[in-house]
Amino acid sequence: MSDALTRHVVTFGRVLREAGLEIGPGRLSDALNGLDRVDVTRQDDVYWTLRTTLVARREELDLFDRAFDAWFLRQAIRPPSRRDDDPRQAPRRAQRVRRDASAGQDAPAEREPEEIGTSAHEVLRRRDFAAMTPAELAAARKLISAVAARRPRRRSRRLQPHRRGHVLDLRSLARGSLATGGDPVERRFRRRTERPRKLVVLCDVSGSMEPYTRALLLYLHATVRSGRGVEVFAFGTRLTRLTPELMSRDPEQALARAAARVVDWAGGTRIGASLKAYNDVWGRRALTRGAVVLIVSDGWERQDHELVGREMARLHRAAYAVVWVNPLKGSPDYEPLAAGMRAALPSVDRFVSGHDLASLEALGDLLSSIERRHEA
Amino acid sequence: MSSPTSFASITEVEAALRAHSYLPQRGLASSLFLALAIEKPLLLEGEAGVGKTEAAKALAAAMGARLIRLQCYEGLDVAHAVYEWNYARQLLHIRAAQEGAVDEQELFGPEFLIRRPLLEAIASDEPVVLLIDEIDRADDEFEAFLLEVLSDFQITIPEIGTISAKRRPAVILTSNRTRELHDALKRRCLFHWITHPPLEREIEIVRLRVPGVPERLAAEAAAFVAGLRTMDLAKAPGVAETIDWAHALAALGCEELDAEVVEQTLGSVLKYYEDFETVRDDAVAQLLREAREAAAIVPAGAGLASSLRERRGSVS
Repeated sequence: MSDALTRHVVTFGRVLREAGLEIGPGRLSDALNGLDRVDVTRQDDVYWTLRTTLVARREELDLFDRAFDAWFLRQAIRPPSRRDDDPRQAPRRAQRVRRDASAGQDAPAEREPEEIGTSAHEVLRRRDFAAMTPAELAAARKLISAVAARRPRRRSRRLQPHRRGHVLDLRSLARGSLATGGDPVERRFRRRTERPRKLVVLCDVSGSMEPYTRALLLYLHATVRSGRGVEVFAFGTRLTRLTPELMSRDPEQALARAAARVVDWAGGTRIGASLKAYNDVWGRRALTRGAVVLIVSDGWERQDHELVGREMARLHRAAYAVVWVNPLKGSPDYEPLAAGMRAALPSVDRFVSGHDLASLEALGDLLSSIERRHEA
Repeated sequence: MSSPTSFASITEVEAALRAHSYLPQRGLASSLFLALAIEKPLLLEGEAGVGKTEAAKALAAAMGARLIRLQCYEGLDVAHAVYEWNYARQLLHIRAAQEGAVDEQELFGPEFLIRRPLLEAIASDEPVVLLIDEIDRADDEFEAFLLEVLSDFQITIPEIGTISAKRRPAVILTSNRTRELHDALKRRCLFHWITHPPLEREIEIVRLRVPGVPERLAAEAAAFVAGLRTMDLAKAPGVAETIDWAHALAALGCEELDAEVVEQTLGSVLKYYEDFETVRDDAVAQLLREAREAAAIVPAGAGLASSLRERRGSVS
């Protein structure tokens, strides 16, 4: 291959890297090897060779196409389509959440909950998140993490040696029989173990939920960090996947990132449309199947509550169990009057509150023991 | 065909697949060619029913290679993916032999080994296309194990030793994207996103796979399905559905589509109750009208689909 072409491709790799694609030396050498084997005078062969070797996921295709057009076809670069994760697009509300986040960090009450003492601890457990000061919230953080570690479990197909299992461990049995001339004297068993079940969380971050959003996001951050198999989505008027943002070790950083990612923070609510977006994209990829779905919302749908009912039914059919967490339910005189909430309830297996630490603890208990098709 | 066919160009891959009743788009043919040329696994992603698994089968047929398929599922383990010992035979063997005459080495020798797909593919002497289907359904642990196998093409069995591939199998992985795969695994693979074929190509596919289907019927059915895909459905029909439908229509002796026959046979295309709700009578009437128009415009057996068209389709 000509040096000029090699240089051209290497520079193109750098362009892609700047555009956000992960282009390591391995991929570049694949691209060059590939180009060696195809007809480089055919534009579409060059295109397909570079795309197959340099792109690793579907989301990168659009970026790649634009870079390719600009670099190899010398076309004017199309203005980038508005990206959801552009922090500049995040409204000021999001900035505020970030400020709150940093305020929480500076607060003097950054103490272990154990140090606060039992009674204070107890007060904290029962304090409505909406009424907490940033300092109290910071203190509650540790407790939230502990609660979130409780996950629904499923039985694994994998068998582990076990004294009282139900399946004979034949490998071990055959080995053990050597000494006794083929007579299996000592029986050895294996048994199914348990593994975390998939957990999908859809969290309402619209204006009406704002008092609870911070505490609930802390809870979700701890849940995501508790192990693989957790997916978190935020929704207001649109659906945003938050799992990658919440993977950061530091909760404050995770929250700040999440706040920057969500463009409709503390805005309106379109539960039905958001559920539909989830079902269409993620449900279709079978994320819902076998998962426990946790919906965190007050159920205020302003537009189409029939759509809420329909999409909830769709979700419910595929899910292992659907749990709806409504912070308003913590109030003793709460009744599900919001039309969206009423439409959703027939497709909800468990309807619980999530307004304070105690209720999150109860949620942890519920999740760790949940079984399919509870009565609502 | 005894020796494996190697391909000199993308066009050759296209022609060979075509000869085995699979009509690839240029992008897919390119990625298959590259995977063989630079000996890398190829990860195919795309909506259900665009022909990911079929592509691997057709490639094996075109190469004269043996297809070994590993269907992944939650809980797939080494005993089902790589190897297992034949315990019944082992026990019988111990019994049949004189007491104390069997040592452990003999008991865990090759004759008591049951080869599962991965070991089979690596130990095989003949050329192999290894299809690892729906890798996203397997557990993370298995993905990590697979990564090891795909980097060295060797498998270690504690009792026997390490078995290395004499020749690297061509590896095709498919994923429906129920979850993101590990970056390390993606880094190891070439990647191709398969789209639904453009209309003229789909008509061609239907005519190839449903022998004796009237030309007009094939065109209208393909155009109708293409119209369905633009609607908001829970499960957009894939090429497989178009073929099934054309089979059903041909079996009913239809020459062209009409509202009544669509009503009777739509079950081969739509698989969800909600989708039947969405595609009501008026929608059917409109789709029919559009399908007839589109089918009239597309020249019968229109040649190669433009690669650029395929590109645009990729970015929805």
